[in-house]
Amino acid sequence: MQSEIELYRPQNLAEALTLLADYGPDGTPLAGGTNIVVELRDGHHNCKSLVDLSHLMELRGINQQNGYIVIGGGTTITELIDHPLIGAHAGILREAARLFANPLVRNRATVAGNLVDASPAADTAPPLLALNAEVQLMSQAATRWIRLEDFITGVRKTLLQPGELMFAIRLPVPSDRSAGAYNKVGLRKADAISVLSAAVMIELDDAGLCKQTGIALGAVAPKPFRAYEAEALLFGKVLGPELITEAARLAAEASRPIDDIRGTAAYRKRVVAVTVRRLLTKAVEVLK
Amino acid sequence: MKYQVKPLPQVNLPELRTVGKPLRKVDAMGKAVGDTVYAGDYSMPRMLHGKVFRSKQSSARITRLDVSKARALPGVACVITGFDVPNARLVSDMPGQTGQKQRAGSDVPVLASEQVRFYGEPIALVAAETLEIADKALSLIEIDYEPLPGVYDPLEAMKPGAPVVTPPDNIVARWKIRKGSMESGFEQADLIVENTFRIPYQEHAYLEPEAGVAWIDERGAITIRVSTQVIEHFRTIARAVGVRQNKIHIQGTMVGGGFGGKEDITIEIYLALLAKHTARPVKMVYTREESFLAHAKRHPYVIKHRTGVKNNGQITASKIEMISDSGAYPYLSPYVLLYTTVMAPGPYRIDNVQVDAISVATNNPYTSAFRGFGGPQACFAYEQQMDDIARQLGLDPLDVRKVNYLRTGDCTATGQVIESATWLEETATRAMAALGEQTPDYGSVKIGQGFASYFQSYGRITWMHDTSQAWVGLELDGTVTIRAGVPDLGAGQANSLCQIAAEVLGVPLERVTIYTTDSALTPLSGTSTATRQLYMSGNATLMAATNVRNVLLNRASKHFEEEIEALDIADGKAFNKSDPSQTLDLVDLAKMCASEGMHLSNLALFKAPFTDPINPETGQGQVWPDFTFGSFAAEVAVDTETGEVTILKAAACHDIGRAINRAAAEGQIIGGGMQGLGYGLMENLIVKEGVIKTPSLSEYLIPTSMDYPNIQAIILESGTGLGPFGAKGIGEPALTPAAPAVASAIANALGVSIPEIPITPEKVLAALDLP
Ligand SMILES: Cc1cc2nc3c(=O)[nH]c(=O)nc-3n(C[C@H](O)[C@H](O)[C@H](O)COP(=O)(O)OP(=O)(O)OC[C@H]3O[C@@H](n4cnc5c(N)ncnc54)[C@H](O)[C@@H]3O)c2cc1C
Repeated sequence: MQSEIELYRPQNLAEALTLLADYGPDGTPLAGGTNIVVELRDGHHNCKSLVDLSHLMELRGINQQNGYIVIGGGTTITELIDHPLIGAHAGILREAARLFANPLVRNRATVAGNLVDASPAADTAPPLLALNAEVQLMSQAATRWIRLEDFITGVRKTLLQPGELMFAIRLPVPSDRSAGAYNKVGLRKADAISVLSAAVMIELDDAGLCKQTGIALGAVAPKPFRAYEAEALLFGKVLGPELITEAARLAAEASRPIDDIRGTAAYRKRVVAVTVRRLLTKAVEVLK
Repeated sequence: MKYQVKPLPQVNLPELRTVGKPLRKVDAMGKAVGDTVYAGDYSMPRMLHGKVFRSKQSSARITRLDVSKARALPGVACVITGFDVPNARLVSDMPGQTGQKQRAGSDVPVLASEQVRFYGEPIALVAAETLEIADKALSLIEIDYEPLPGVYDPLEAMKPGAPVVTPPDNIVARWKIRKGSMESGFEQADLIVENTFRIPYQEHAYLEPEAGVAWIDERGAITIRVSTQVIEHFRTIARAVGVRQNKIHIQGTMVGGGFGGKEDITIEIYLALLAKHTARPVKMVYTREESFLAHAKRHPYVIKHRTGVKNNGQITASKIEMISDSGAYPYLSPYVLLYTTVMAPGPYRIDNVQVDAISVATNNPYTSAFRGFGGPQACFAYEQQMDDIARQLGLDPLDVRKVNYLRTGDCTATGQVIESATWLEETATRAMAALGEQTPDYGSVKIGQGFASYFQSYGRITWMHDTSQAWVGLELDGTVTIRAGVPDLGAGQANSLCQIAAEVLGVPLERVTIYTTDSALTPLSGTSTATRQLYMSGNATLMAATNVRNVLLNRASKHFEEEIEALDIADGKAFNKSDPSQTLDLVDLAKMCASEGMHLSNLALFKAPFTDPINPETGQGQVWPDFTFGSFAAEVAVDTETGEVTILKAAACHDIGRAINRAAAEGQIIGGGMQGLGYGLMENLIVKEGVIKTPSLSEYLIPTSMDYPNIQAIILESGTGLGPFGAKGIGEPALTPAAPAVASAIANALGVSIPEIPITPEKVLAALDLP
């Protein structure tokens, strides 16, 4: 248990950025707190000052701009479920949000918090990776966009610098000829950490050939990742059952899971193949 | 529909006014609006906060323990170690009010000072002005260990040369049953079926962790306001703390879930010692993680069945061996083992039975009571065995059971004659029928249905000479007060007594107030364990209320100038049955009685049947007053590619004798069923070298409301129980058949059975991979 932490509640984004700049490595952004508070209680977080962003409206909201869906970093998981733009253009993110935690946590937990925490099992990461998302990092000095894929660098490691916060996440609006599917395998039907999760997106051209793909996996490697070998196999082809099975096998091969209390590495690999096969099949069905 | 529903025999239960109705429980409103003051909600002025310092080793000698820095920390009121209280020992024998002989080796040092035998064993106590200071003090306690060899597998622990947890050896208990002849039984068999079953730990995971506050009152008595299933522990607490028995006062609270985990002493002795040493009120509330470490678990078992059967399924011989892991201290392991032993053959009529059961000490987490008390482990094994017999004989699972099901008048394996109804086929066919048509398979998903039947005792072991007391009084305004030491675990123990008194005294339920669970102020009613409260305290309340009713009717008979038999009491009035317009208000009747010096209250003592212990060599004799019978059915969808199991439908049918409060009884059936389904499919306490690897609710998963479908609760009422109005018990039995039923449904879906719970997706795939 930790007793002495400073908690700041800035009035607006500018104040927040100033606080973060002033505190540098000692200042930790606080959003929903559903990771941080748990870690503080367990004594696993040794931050000195928390800068509370949870009430800043600048970080909230979802809208469409210049061909992108832009999601404020402080958007909650519940808001993802309810927002029409997510339902219309990012069904796999909505599905991930629906299977995320439980209603109480979903009301607090934020997208930025999920991505910055960078757990291998962060459930918004696979759909966002499959949707080619980028994240916007902001400090008092500058703002930069980075591909989500590059942002998460390892187990709970990211490119976020001291003084920075994640302002927004954006994803290109998928074309009408695209479809996706998502599934999370957990040991129970709610409030379970993923044993594995997978998101796929495919886009077909007018001839019915595969034009674009996104196959992303969670909880089966040090970080959520794209299975590019599997994607490459599909490119430019008709997505028939055999090809899909082979791509799913490649996705399983690309995963590097570990044994833990939720499952063995062998089980995870095996079920990645099953899950990716089913998701690709489902996405192709939708486009038929 | 798979089976023809077996018709019920004619039962004529009298229609009652209050009993049997799904009335709102008397404790419901307080809980709904947050007025109920649970143990952890209570605070007192000048209160200190207590914490326990625990072992970080599973088996080690303590070579140095230095608490001086913790003691010196400002704000610390006291630090107590085993050296300060060398005589503080917790006698972990069967709790309660009866004084049976103490088992050797069953006493546990309250605080370990020389050796630790399990991870989490208490070593020191701290009381401080704030929780933060108490936590800080824990971190200042210095300890050095010299690791000792440990033993973590009961089979290893039985081998010669294995490390001995507590001398003289690791055998904590043994029970035997010898009935008939193995030789002739197996000779008569057409087929012999053998299987080994593995059944795991289970964590109680009650919503409310262990909590309480203790202080010294103006009489010098140590008062402990605590969440407990057993207020009679005050005697053991007094011995451990070194005071007289009437100087410990337990004020039990509404319990936020017990399930057997608050049957053993939890924090009472720590609180009492800290209050005694500081002379100030002390509060202690476990965190979830500490609760996982601190209390017992359900016993893991390895159970081997060897069964001889005729081609028609009739069992000719049953030879069963079982080993349970008792952990580092015995606690209730010997008794749990007895339950598993006696229930081992299942609710079947078998002439030749041999059971050999052993409970073994290890350096694992200790094990003790958990809803079902050894019954669920037995049931998982015997019901899987019955399914396998059916499979091997090519018979239907119900047909095999039908030829063997116990009937009224039959004997159990220990020679106890069953006198109540044994509605096994009746419950099995109803539970299965409630599932309806089986959903068809789709894709790689296979569907299966299965059921399990069980028998389970209610009431304590008859050689414990169990008794319960209750006091019932009529007030002058026509209201009724009950005093009974019953701890209410949320199952409606207190409410049932109110409905019984309301029925007998002819008042609406709202007019009854009950005072419970106080070792000094309410008559002792015994433990809220062993599915005994309705049976025991229900009968005591029935007796006391009936005695008051008789006083009232006597006086009323003078008033009406009618025989007592011609009168009745209902809706707060005595009346003439042949002319109900002739009434006398209870208020007036009570006043008449009072002014004439008649006794308007009564303290009754109900005694269960008392017997001698069973024969230790043969196990023959009576063990419990009676049994509940029932069945559970489930339909599952098994994804053969991922191993995931989804329960599509579930139904439970139990003969509970008589429902006192139908809604509460359904609550028990559904809640117990869910807990049993979790045990069968999900709950997975991973223990490595004595250390729990899943010590929190994010790691040790229990079912959420999203996981399982509603369990259809089908209540049958044979009226043949020994409880009030013919009631049996349902608290524990509700859990017992759920896990084997779901295992049976999975086996039905896959064509292979999995002899080990929890049936995780990985186990499903492993079973499918077998050639
Ligand atoms: C019961 C429970 C169930 C859970 N179930 C799931 C689940 O199913 N799937 C899942 O993926 N996770 C789950 N989690 C984890 C957690 O809820 C998520 O990771 C959540 O998205 C974290 O968001 P938050 O806003 O609460 O983050 P916080 O705890 O506030 O912060 C997490 C991290 O992100 C940083 N951070 C937050 N916002 C910003 C920002 N705008 N800019 C920069 N840094 C920021 C913080 O400094 C911190 O390092 C669960 C947690 C609990 C307690």
